[in-house]
Amino acid sequence: MTTKTGDQESPLASQVDPQTSVSRVPPPETPAAVQTRFRVIAAFWAVIIFLGFPIWWKTTSIYRASLPLEEMVHWADGKTCRPVFPLEIHLSTPSLPYIEAQHLLRTTQHTLDDLNEFAAHHLRLKLANDTTGDHTGQDSSEHVNYAARETPDTALTVRLLPQEGLASPRSELHAATTQLDVFYPPSQIPVSSSSNSPLSTFIAAELQQLYGEEKATIAHILSGDTARLASTSPQLAEDISRRLRRSMKYAETYHLSFSLFTPGAEPSSWDIEAAVNEYVSPLLQALSPISNFTVDTQVQLYANFAPTAPKPEYDESEAVWTLKKEGLSAFVNAAEWPLNPSIGTGPTINFILYVPDPSQSPLVVKENSASSWIVPQWGGVFLLNPPLSNDEQGSRSNPAHLSLGSLGPAFMTFSHQLLTLLGTPSTPASLPLRLQTSIRIRAATLLLSASSTMGSLARLTESLPSIPIPATVATSVSTTLSHLTATCSHLREGRFGAALASARVAETEAERSFFEKSMVGQVYFPDEHKVAVYLPLLGPIGVPLVVGLLRELKRIAAKRKAKAS
Amino acid sequence: MALLFRFLQAFALLLLASAVAAEHTSNWAVLVSTSRFWFNYRHLANVLSLYRTVKRLGIPDSQIILMLPDDMACNPRNAFPGTVYSNADRAVDLYGDNIEVDYRGYEVTVENFIRLLTDRLDEDVPRSKRLGSDAGSNVLVYMTGHGGDQFLKFQDAEEIGAWDLADAFGQMWEKKRYHELLFMIDTCQANTMYTHFYSPNIVATGSSEIDQSSYSHHADNDVGVAVIDRWTYYVLEFLETQVTSVTSKLNLGDLFDSYDESKIHSQPGVRWDLFPGGEQEGRLRTVVDFFGNVQNVEVENANATEPGSLKEDLAEIARLVERWQKRDEEYSAILGNSAQNSTEDLHSSTLNLKPKTTVGPSKMAEDNGWGKRLVGASVVGACTAIWVAGSILGRSSV
Repeated sequence: MTTKTGDQESPLASQVDPQTSVSRVPPPETPAAVQTRFRVIAAFWAVIIFLGFPIWWKTTSIYRASLPLEEMVHWADGKTCRPVFPLEIHLSTPSLPYIEAQHLLRTTQHTLDDLNEFAAHHLRLKLANDTTGDHTGQDSSEHVNYAARETPDTALTVRLLPQEGLASPRSELHAATTQLDVFYPPSQIPVSSSSNSPLSTFIAAELQQLYGEEKATIAHILSGDTARLASTSPQLAEDISRRLRRSMKYAETYHLSFSLFTPGAEPSSWDIEAAVNEYVSPLLQALSPISNFTVDTQVQLYANFAPTAPKPEYDESEAVWTLKKEGLSAFVNAAEWPLNPSIGTGPTINFILYVPDPSQSPLVVKENSASSWIVPQWGGVFLLNPPLSNDEQGSRSNPAHLSLGSLGPAFMTFSHQLLTLLGTPSTPASLPLRLQTSIRIRAATLLLSASSTMGSLARLTESLPSIPIPATVATSVSTTLSHLTATCSHLREGRFGAALASARVAETEAERSFFEKSMVGQVYFPDEHKVAVYLPLLGPIGVPLVVGLLRELKRIAAKRKAKAS
Repeated sequence: MALLFRFLQAFALLLLASAVAAEHTSNWAVLVSTSRFWFNYRHLANVLSLYRTVKRLGIPDSQIILMLPDDMACNPRNAFPGTVYSNADRAVDLYGDNIEVDYRGYEVTVENFIRLLTDRLDEDVPRSKRLGSDAGSNVLVYMTGHGGDQFLKFQDAEEIGAWDLADAFGQMWEKKRYHELLFMIDTCQANTMYTHFYSPNIVATGSSEIDQSSYSHHADNDVGVAVIDRWTYYVLEFLETQVTSVTSKLNLGDLFDSYDESKIHSQPGVRWDLFPGGEQEGRLRTVVDFFGNVQNVEVENANATEPGSLKEDLAEIARLVERWQKRDEEYSAILGNSAQNSTEDLHSSTLNLKPKTTVGPSKMAEDNGWGKRLVGASVVGACTAIWVAGSILGRSSV
């Protein structure tokens, strides 16, 4: 209240002063007006500093969740984890006393270690407790819940069986189980004094050979193309790199699409459900630890070749229609055949059953009369030439319905193509063993690929400072890193199924974090763009504000000076 | 003699190894026109001509991403409805009846283009609209439109900067989304667009230097507008007359040497320094490494017997099937009477087919009404507080 009265007094005082009104200068500002102006300017600046600036800062700043960059780079450089593959092999010796079996185990292990040149992949022998080795083999080939197990997976059971009348030991691999029978002449049981014996050498060499391809593949994956094992033959190395080239990129889910294409109206139906159940499901069940699969099927009638595709030629000598091998890549009419169903996220593996027109039947590949081929990273094709039926007019036609029996060869071939496309190794000659190998190879691949994605993301974060990084990415990264750690320790302890399970999670999360949808933006704005955006905004507002502030500062400075003098 | 043989063998192996290292496993093409409206007919014709060429050389539609911002074939001003020509002789209808446009009209935006390259797309975007390339893919990126110094205009509405493009390629390289990349651009001041690239294994070429225009080649008087750009015209001339099949051995060096400035009326540029081995190595890449498709189809010989061959596998699969059936039978035997049904159940359960769920309508609005109400209330409260504070301050000063 006191200030109020003071304010009212001062203008009165200036009006009565006669001296100043003589010269035509404006009357001096009353202290009250000066104070008001000061308050106004202060209020504007307060709004700008305390409200405008934080809002501008908040709305234009880019949210970047903090990522454990160093750890991510270490994973990518392979500093955190050196993947090892200790394979546990059970040695079952029903007819040997414990001491001798122990000795045999030791010498064999010794020979194996001498033979091994790739330390990351090694075989560990162990005496089987139960003598019913057959049961173990049966069990591990079936789908079991790997994650729940605490003990290492048994890769192989070797059963030693004495057999009279043999000159040297021989082995026999059970094709349907993970069991290797070794028959040996009873005379060759190693005596405990000798450090080596033909039997242990034989077993070691046999095992070495059995896992040769797997070892070479894993060495290839871990080291890239450059370093290869000395013992790997160039043929095998070429095989491996070819297989890695043609196999599909790993995906959590694959869509299998079985399509029947025919240029005419028949056949128009097929026993597809029975065929899939009969021939494909067992394999899918066996592959279920590696990936998920969905199956869909279609029938396409009047499916023509592309106009540019080479036409089949008639081979007089064989009485067959032939397709040239180099023309096969144009066989699939990608433009018109509906082959890329856009379902879900995973890639589609296409299997095409093509029934040629009766006028062009039978149709085979010219070079080797084969009727099927694989298109790398895409799928497979099978040419089915069903027996033609003659009608009354003498024209030949395809059967209207393809029965389960006639689909058998085609679907067996598709199963084989599926194995090939998923990168299953070709040896050893036992499907369960090959699937196990496949699990280890996939685990190694996924471990590397998730690690390298982590490295990529870390480098991206550092190199593009203006890209936003939402919190979900940080969550995904930490999930990935923890699952990578789990994978690594599972591998070290020989639990490959569990390792693959966590590697799959790690890979999925790593992909999710890298391909986060909101991490895009036109990240770069040139400076002239920024000026163009801010100038119209700041010009009209900024100039009066800044000038007002300067004048006020000047006044305060002058007042200070006056006071001081 | 044996020594010589061994030496030769080692040499052959070395050759094989280098061939393997340089090999790519798939080819992808991203063909982008960035301008719409009838007077930019030639930009769409440029892209469609390239599309026709890569398709002729074997890249399937599923591996070509075609971005056309306008539909010239159905433009009401088109005197030849349903067709697009890139030459006044109108010999080849580029639109044809076998064309797959992946992004059309207003879908062609800078954001979509960058999302396409970096694959940061929604989960429900179909695979035909995605660039599914991997570490073994050679990618051809061709762009045409109206551009300037370090930018290329998209649809008269926005522009992509050379920096953004460089960063997109950088991210592709980080995620191993290409093996080698050929970048081609036909626009005014095109060579400025690739100056900021920094990721390796890229060969870039453009139609004109900074401050140079890129001209059209000729107009078709019946169509009424220019139908193709000069640089693209001569690139296509080379591709169509010299690279006649996928087996062509012509290399990038030959392609770039064919540039004739007196014909193109601007100075085309090539950037080699990102390529390992520089110009020397880059010139040796064949044209079909980028414009053609590698597809080494593997015919399966039914008579081969090596491990992993068809025959062996078939036997193994047959065994697997047999065991499966046996287990089925055992299983149904255990279940006794309902044997038949359970077998069928087992079959269907093994298929891993997801049960089809019917998709019902879902609520569009997110259900956090209370949160919104809270925000609204606090805003109103804050405003009231400011008003009250202001009125008190004002009263005190008057």
